[in-house]
Amino acid sequence: MSSEGKAKDYSLAELMAVLAAKEIKDGDKVFVGIGIPMIAGFLAIHSHAPNAVLMFEGGYLGSHPPVACTDVGDSVLGLGAPYITSSWRTFSDLQRGYCDIGIIGSAQVDKYGNVNSTVILDNGTYENPKTRLPGSGGANDIASSAGRLLIMARLEKRRFVPRVDYVTSPGHVGGYESRRKTGLKGGGPVAVITDRAIFRFDEDTKEMYLSHLYPGVSVEEVKKEISWNLRVAEHIATVEPPTKAQVNFMRSYDPTDVILRRRCLFESIDFPSWSGLAMSDWKKHARRA
Amino acid sequence: MADQKKRADKTLTLKEAIKEFVHDDSSVTLGGFCGRNSQAAAYEIVRQNRRNLTIIDDSPTDQLDILIGAGCIKAVEIAWNGVSIFSLARNLRRSVEEAIPHKIEVQDYSNYAASLRFMAGAMNVPFLPTRSLLGSDIPRHNRRIKIINDPYEGGPIALVPAASPDVAIIHVQRADRQGNAQIWGHLANDENKARAAKHAVVTCEEIVREEAILKIPNMTALPSYCVDAVVKAPYGSHPWSCYGYYYHDIIFQRDYAKSNQTRPGFLKWIDEWILSCEDQSDYCRKVGKERLLKLAKMERAINRIPV
Repeated sequence: MSSEGKAKDYSLAELMAVLAAKEIKDGDKVFVGIGIPMIAGFLAIHSHAPNAVLMFEGGYLGSHPPVACTDVGDSVLGLGAPYITSSWRTFSDLQRGYCDIGIIGSAQVDKYGNVNSTVILDNGTYENPKTRLPGSGGANDIASSAGRLLIMARLEKRRFVPRVDYVTSPGHVGGYESRRKTGLKGGGPVAVITDRAIFRFDEDTKEMYLSHLYPGVSVEEVKKEISWNLRVAEHIATVEPPTKAQVNFMRSYDPTDVILRRRCLFESIDFPSWSGLAMSDWKKHARRA
Repeated sequence: MADQKKRADKTLTLKEAIKEFVHDDSSVTLGGFCGRNSQAAAYEIVRQNRRNLTIIDDSPTDQLDILIGAGCIKAVEIAWNGVSIFSLARNLRRSVEEAIPHKIEVQDYSNYAASLRFMAGAMNVPFLPTRSLLGSDIPRHNRRIKIINDPYEGGPIALVPAASPDVAIIHVQRADRQGNAQIWGHLANDENKARAAKHAVVTCEEIVREEAILKIPNMTALPSYCVDAVVKAPYGSHPWSCYGYYYHDIIFQRDYAKSNQTRPGFLKWIDEWILSCEDQSDYCRKVGKERLLKLAKMERAINRIPV
């Protein structure tokens, strides 16, 4: 897959998925939620990490669905799964230390990689917030116990704040050794993947710094979206665009465009067309199971 | 334990079961996890217009959002609420941000914390420890979670309180008339939810003879002694999937999420899909036999369960 040419036509969501997939090593047990993290997980399995195992919080483990699923309890996750169990067991395996890497989304993220997906306060309180978000789900558990944590975020000033309004999922807490002192056993965040840059964390201070830029994006442009004085790596690398094969795989994996949303297909497709398309794609890609 | 658990034939209609086990002020947990959801039961709770319910759960999705919008809920103790991948739970937002239709109280947990709460309830112990929640703001705003010093090895550890809801409603593939309930696909927290609750109502795709259960007893997730009522509710998880029976109707759910962007849109939706349907079979007729059979065909193309 990697030997082919670079894609010219790709979306930022697709590039984010490719960059997240690169963080997954062969053999890793990967805890993923729905959406782009899941696409990243399957892309890794079908390229450089064929022995990676995906863990889904409803209780599906090691699934190989022919195309993307739309939620963590989707019955298509029953395909190619060596183990189907309960939620408490899946999370206990995570806490036990079996999970090498977890990927979570975020509404707000701060300079130590703490993540908020519960409430946006904006002068309000927890009880009376400006915006009530869905809450932790499994994100707190993944951030607590996964060996490494990847955070996905859109690069916007209102999301990158010095201190999140509410710590749903702990990152490096207050920096330095503070995470370990809270009793957390998982390693904490290793990277924040956004739609314009990648951030990593300083080994000692655990503060986030700019490590990679997307093609055509400047340091200044990134700094403008960060509401603290962002540290910048000495040598900033530029990320590679995805290959044509990676893009083709992701699109074939998301035939109704329900995840990547490049087109408006999913907004308007009717039931008969959707079910027909889904079934023909399951058949076409049956060997992926 | 209540007498209902000792009946030899526990079959009831969905209307009877909700009437008998879900009252105003009850605490309720709903089974499933983005699949095999207790959707039909949630619709019937709306039809019977229950008030002041507390939902204790892990990640209830649109079934909770619908109950909040319908005004049935007083408080929730949950880890997450949204509508699949389509949208935030608009009724939860409207309730918390704008007190529409009224303000509900939210107590946040994580999914593992919620899982352990049901396990503690099922074990009949007051709490369980976890390494989740440390270093986060969840315990700061939810005082029922305690961070203590591990009395054996030292170091911080979080405790979550047992959950013992008044009733658990669990949708399964099949059960016999006594309540032995078999589940295929992910189990979510349903084995523990049913045991943690004072009463457990099983809704199922099919009621089968006991001999069918005896053929594969390993698939029995809930033995009859923890079940109070058995309700036949075909397509009871629609629009969510039911492993081995029908696939996820994501088009139906997309349309719910669209309607639910506004309060009038939501009210129109519950009127059309819940209040104007007499019962679950009426709802199924409205969704359409052809459409439901298509979802069943889709599911059989991916998962078949042994009979």
